[in-house]
Formats: sequence, C-alpha cells, structure tokens
Amino acid sequence: MFNSTGNNFGAGQISFKDYQASNYVVLNSKFSFDPTNADYQACEQLEIYVPDLSIDRSAVGAVFIRFVEDQHWSWGDSVYDGGSILKSWVKDKNTIVIEKQPWFDQNGPLIIYILTLYPQLNQGGNTIKGTQQRLTMTTPDNYLRFGYETFMVEFEHWVFIHLFFSGCTYAYRDSLWEVTMEELPADITADVPICGGGNQFHPECDGMAEAHIENKVLSNQRRVMGFWDTGHDPFVYAFLVRDNNE
Amino acid sequence: MQALPSIAFGGFSGSAKGVTARQVAGRTILSVKSWPTGQTTNAQVARRTSMSKISKSWKLLSNDQMREWDRLAEHTSGQSAFGQKAEISGMNLYIRLNVNRAMAGEALLSSAPAGTVAVPNVEYSQIAVTPELVAITGIKHQASPYKLVVKMSAGQSAGISNGWSKTVIITPGIEDDWGEADVTTLYLKTIGVEPVPGQKVFVESYWMDTSTGFSGQPVQDSVIVTGEAPHGRRVRVTMDTLDPTEDNNVTAIDVDFSTGAPVAQFNAVCLGHSNVASSIVYLDRELPTEVIGTGICLGRANGPDGKIVAQSYMVWVRNYYGKADMTFAHRGGYYVAKTECFGAGVMY
Repeated sequence: MFNSTGNNFGAGQISFKDYQASNYVVLNSKFSFDPTNADYQACEQLEIYVPDLSIDRSAVGAVFIRFVEDQHWSWGDSVYDGGSILKSWVKDKNTIVIEKQPWFDQNGPLIIYILTLYPQLNQGGNTIKGTQQRLTMTTPDNYLRFGYETFMVEFEHWVFIHLFFSGCTYAYRDSLWEVTMEELPADITADVPICGGGNQFHPECDGMAEAHIENKVLSNQRRVMGFWDTGHDPFVYAFLVRDNNE
Repeated sequence: MQALPSIAFGGFSGSAKGVTARQVAGRTILSVKSWPTGQTTNAQVARRTSMSKISKSWKLLSNDQMREWDRLAEHTSGQSAFGQKAEISGMNLYIRLNVNRAMAGEALLSSAPAGTVAVPNVEYSQIAVTPELVAITGIKHQASPYKLVVKMSAGQSAGISNGWSKTVIITPGIEDDWGEADVTTLYLKTIGVEPVPGQKVFVESYWMDTSTGFSGQPVQDSVIVTGEAPHGRRVRVTMDTLDPTEDNNVTAIDVDFSTGAPVAQFNAVCLGHSNVASSIVYLDRELPTEVIGTGICLGRANGPDGKIVAQSYMVWVRNYYGKADMTFAHRGGYYVAKTECFGAGVMY
C-alpha cells in the first residue's frame, strides 16, 4: 500500500493498494472529489502524484467514475446513480493521469474507482495467457443469478473478475444481496462498481451501483432503479490486488 | 604563372584554387571546396529552402531579439575544430536552432530560448537492418519535447570504416514507440533501395529538444545488413494489418500483444455489424498461436447520440485458413454499436 503525495484536482490524500511488477502495475483505489473546487476546474487532466512506481509510463487503461443521485417521490425514494469509464495512464514514475471529462461536473461529489492494470508495451514477449475459472455464485435458494461469463483469472498477487448479473427472485429485488463467490481467494477486500442497469434520469450513461467484496462475499444494497431493465445487463470488471503483497 | 600569397601560414585569408583560408577568433581555418556527391534528395532541397527562409527572417527580428540571440550565442559552442572550441554568432545560432525546429515541424522561434539546454544522448540496445526491417530497438525513452533524429547511409561496402559523411536524415524527429523506432518506410522513401545483406549501413542519431531546437551529441554506429531480423516483430493488430478486401467493422484498431504480461492492450473503435452486438476484423495474416484465445476488455459508447455507457466485450482471436480474425462481442452494459474499447484485458 502507499499514499499519494499530492494531486492537482483537490482530492486530498489518496490511498492505493498495489502490486508492482517490472513491466506492469495493478492499482486499487477509491476516492472522491468535488468538481466545483478551483483546482479541478483549473486542471486540464487529473494528475495524482505518487512515490516511485516500478514503471515509468504505461499504455492507456480504464478507471470508473460514479455519481450518487436520489430522487424523492410521494411514494418513496429512488436511486439514479450513474457513471462511466475514463482513460487513465501512468505518465511517469510519479504521476498517474486520469482524463478530464465534463460529463458529470454537475453531479458532484464524484467517486473514482481505480481497479486497473497498467501495462507497458514492446516488452520482448507476448501476452501470457491465464486460466479462466468460472465462479460459483451462491445465495440461499439461488435468489441471485449470474450469466455464463461470470469468471475470474487468478494470479499469485492479483485476480481479475468479470461478473455478469442475469436475474433475481422478485422477493429479493430490494433486499441486501450477499453472494458468496466460492472460488474467489479470501484475501481480497475492495469496493467495486456495478456498471449497467437502466437509468431514466441519465440514459446517456446508464446506472452504476457499488458493491463491497470481502472474504469471498459480494454485498450490495443500493441499486439504480432500472437495475434489471432488459438489455442494460449489469456487470463488474475489476483487477483486484490480493492482500498478500506486503 | 599566377603569383598568389601562400595561405599555408597564419594571418592569411582568401582563396587559392579550391582552398579557402579564413580567420575566426584568431584561428586560421582552411577549407577545401566541396562538391555534392550523389543526387540531391527532396529532404535536402526542403532543408536548404527552409534554411534560406530562416536566414532571411533574421533581418525581421527586433534589435532586442537579436541581442538576446547574441547573448545566448556567447554561452553556446559551435562545432569544435582541432581541439579549439569554436564560437558561434547570434545569427548562426538562430538559424541552427530554427532549422532544427523546422525539421520537426515546429514554428519559427523569434525570441531566443532562456538558456542553453543539456540534451541527453541517445541510448539503445540494437539497430536491426534487413531488407524488410530498419529499426532501432531498446531505446531509452525521452518524453516530449524530445524527438529522435536518425540519419542513415545507403548500403556501403563492408570494408568501409568511416561512412558517416554519407548519412542523410531519415527522420527529422520521431518519438520512439515503446523503445522502438521502426524507420523501414522512411528509409526506403529516402534512400530509395532496400538494404542488401552483407553491406554496411552507417547510422547517426541524436535527440532534439523541439521546444528550443537544441540537439544532443550525435551517436554514431554502423551495422551489417542481415537477411533476417535479429528479433521478432511486435505482435499487433492495426489498421495496416487488416485485409482490405473484407468488411472490417472498426474505424480504428490497435491491439497490442507485446506486454509480456498476463494482459493484451485493447484499442478499437467498433461499429457493430448486421444488427448483431459484435464487430469483426479480418487480418491479412495469421497470428502466433500463443495469442490465439479469448480476451475481455471494457468499452465506452462513442456514438453520435452522446451516449457514454460503459460496457464489457469478450474478444475472440482465432486463425482460420491462413488468416486471423478478431471478434469484439458485447456482454455487459447497454449495447451501443459505435463504442471505443480501451485498456488492458486478460486472455485465456
């Protein structure tokens, strides 16, 4: 783990969980910032300053940006959280860059999730293929169901997961979900965005919820109202650092 | 018989036959009139035209600007000769730096840079010259505003030990592509013929600071042309590698398998096809078997309707009857036909 030494968009100190190899780094972080602050408005791209990384530049990766929005109706409250992905790269040994987009500047504060592997190119070898392991997603009476492409690729220091939500028993639609990912290593703790689900107020970006992973269990309570809208299939895509890298 | 003063001793200046003597800062410089060998290249013509224009533009500078250049020139060395550091005038420095900048496509610099700039030397591991590939590899990257200038000669006899005077500019300023400067096309365009195995090619390279025009110390090297490249080419799928006779459903693609890590680097602007939530590209060649398989990547909608929806895509890579194809198949999120896929993705 390490902490940032600064940034140019007024976000305060940012903590990272990391795995650093000689030719790539995997970084996990979650932080928020206020898009109305002067530093953010003045910057051309978001820069996070960090202690020396193992690589001095990287190819472009993706990070998630999310906003939280509630609407209050006579019949109750509704969630319209949304977000998208932003380009991000390691600019030099001490700078991580995130592209600046104005899309959600009116919806602050904004949350960034870095669950990203930053690779280098022309490294003298080809892609090293991993082994796909389907994840068995267990809930009582199988109330939460997942599609075929719900899997992980496990490595010694990090794990990649792709979760593909496919259905929920009606009685559990507003419940706290707790699903055990049987094959996932227990040494992973992270907050991850769930992308997708229809978003009536923000159809340009769709919904984005947040789930917590700890001790093989994924839990989630707050979900966008159109989470199960047909054709808006919610998914999780994350490179997760294992807690064995100290 | 014509009586001429000897120019072989100090204190003389003038020309006799093909030899010119001049006094510069107390030194006598003798130079022999040189005549160009070989045909003038287009690049040389462009450079001479540019130099002529830049020379004329000196007179348009204000007195203050000229004084700035003179002041900077006092702290700048010209090319040293016979161990003596040569001086350079403000005008010559103005021309030298602006010719460099013009080569790199930069605008004319009227005001002198604040000071001299220490430009790093080029460091690399290998130069590969074959009939199919001309590349410098293992380059220690220098970030912008540095650009790499490469000069090369045509193939010379392997017995020649000093042929750097025969080099011409192959590229006036490129950025290395992840430590590699592949100048194959530029070499063929400039020199006009493929290198022949067994011949020797002379190479000179240096970094140029494009913000000021200052250049680093040239690194001179020579290499014998071989029949095959000493290293494998990077495995990439780019627009250049697609089969133009096929219906390729992308407007841009750069998938790079050269990570040496458990991921491929995906970049593609997918268009979709036939009302199916996927895009296919067909290559004009096979891919190495070690990159055949299934990958996954993220995408962001990029359509005219302003959607920016996040999506996930499975990527199937296969060889089929001597060619390869790659399918980006939509999975998570709301499908938008025009989507930009980017970032690292595992493969299995």
